[in-house]
Amino acid sequence: MSGERLSEMARLLDEAWETRTPVAPLSQTHGLSSIEDAYEVQRLFHERRTARGERLLGRKIGLTARAVQRQLGVDQPDFGNLWASRYFPREGSIVEVPREIFLQPRIEGELAFLIGRRLSGPGVSLQEVLAATEAVAPAFEIVDSRIRDWKITITDTIADNASYGGFTLGAWRRSWLSRDLRTLGMLLVKNGQPTAQGAGAAALDHPAAAVAWLANTFGRFGVALEPGDIVLSGSWIPVQPVERGDVCELLLADAEPLVLRFT
Amino acid sequence: MNEAERELLETVRRARAERRTVPSKGSERNVALEGAFRIQAELAAGRPLKGYKLGLVSPAKQRQMGIDRPVWGRVFSEMIHAHEVRLSDFIQPRVEPEVAALLASDLPAGSSEGAAMRAVAGFVLAVDILDSIWEGYRFTLAEVVADNTSGGGFLMGERLLEAPPAGDLELWLDGELLGRGPVTALGNPYRQLATLADMAGGLSAGQVVFLGSPAAAQPARPGTLTLLSAAGSLSARLV
Repeated sequence: MSGERLSEMARLLDEAWETRTPVAPLSQTHGLSSIEDAYEVQRLFHERRTARGERLLGRKIGLTARAVQRQLGVDQPDFGNLWASRYFPREGSIVEVPREIFLQPRIEGELAFLIGRRLSGPGVSLQEVLAATEAVAPAFEIVDSRIRDWKITITDTIADNASYGGFTLGAWRRSWLSRDLRTLGMLLVKNGQPTAQGAGAAALDHPAAAVAWLANTFGRFGVALEPGDIVLSGSWIPVQPVERGDVCELLLADAEPLVLRFT
Repeated sequence: MNEAERELLETVRRARAERRTVPSKGSERNVALEGAFRIQAELAAGRPLKGYKLGLVSPAKQRQMGIDRPVWGRVFSEMIHAHEVRLSDFIQPRVEPEVAALLASDLPAGSSEGAAMRAVAGFVLAVDILDSIWEGYRFTLAEVVADNTSGGGFLMGERLLEAPPAGDLELWLDGELLGRGPVTALGNPYRQLATLADMAGGLSAGQVVFLGSPAAAQPARPGTLTLLSAAGSLSARLV
């Protein structure tokens, strides 16, 4: 596919992000069908965002649930960039997130990794990830799509920065590194109702396995995970719709609740 | 390298490449331990190193072989397996329950036990899938060291432990208990790491060290392999 066509798609995504107006699936309008091209569009989209002053905080891993992979007809996850303008730091007890900056937001619960030592693939094992991680934290990820009605194929979501919307984090914990992250569980309570639950094994069988996948995938491009990078390792719960006014609590045993309100 | 060493090197190289066993030359093998380590290093050239394995960790086994510290081999990336292991990739696989240490920082040669403690990120349960070119695992010390200390494959637990688990390691294959032994038989892991750092010329952050087994190795065959301990389990399918 021509460079011109790829950068045209990046321009459309950037415009959709800016104007909060979704576009038709690029897989249909532009015949975006190869994963490689899709990541190139993502890179060009990222360049456009950074040219507007965006900063990179780390990466997100998506499509880590086997069921979601089957839906999209893929057998591996994808990744995108965590942009700082959409990081909502917890200052008080409740993190407030404005609904209107998103197009069609949904919410996920996952574990964030703070990388402590450089991880450079190939050959990175999940045990090596655990040994190189400074700390982990529970995280809400708001996913969003610049593609109309979420009618995405794998290439649409990859090009669209892996459907990144924003994120917030609970407290970083080093001691959780020696827990069995596969069997740790989380419960999403939405507007007072238990709504979704899952365990760490839902993210590619082990959250650290998802991070290892990312390090190994990056290794092929000569990129590494660097100290200080934040990695969102994939949702433990099925993605949930959210509306203005929703109060979402993410509950994990022995952790203070992470509470987010859409204003 | 002298002629006897070159001969041993070629024997190991060829048998590994052709995946077949060869008989030990026993006392006729005129290679010293240092020579055997030179052969091991020569055969490792150009392969991505992931860490090390210790062998002959128990004083009883060491006395039997006439040495006073463990021997060690190299662990390469392609030796790390997860969830499923194809036994046809091995020559004569045997399995034993182990514990491995993961290093968060470098541990130079000459480091103290305390420095080793600080360098360790944690421990994981592990299974050593040994493999050897030496028929029936009958070999001299030089022969086993030249053959990368029977290095084959490894499985690692998916939970990071702050200390090696208390109590016994039990290794099961389907419904059969293959072996059981107390973790304390592995000695002080930090002391072992400091000794290994001396012998191997330093260890690096990110490396894994398999600390040896408290139970005798048993032949592997297809089935579900399960390692049980007080600190959790590790399982994989052998096919």
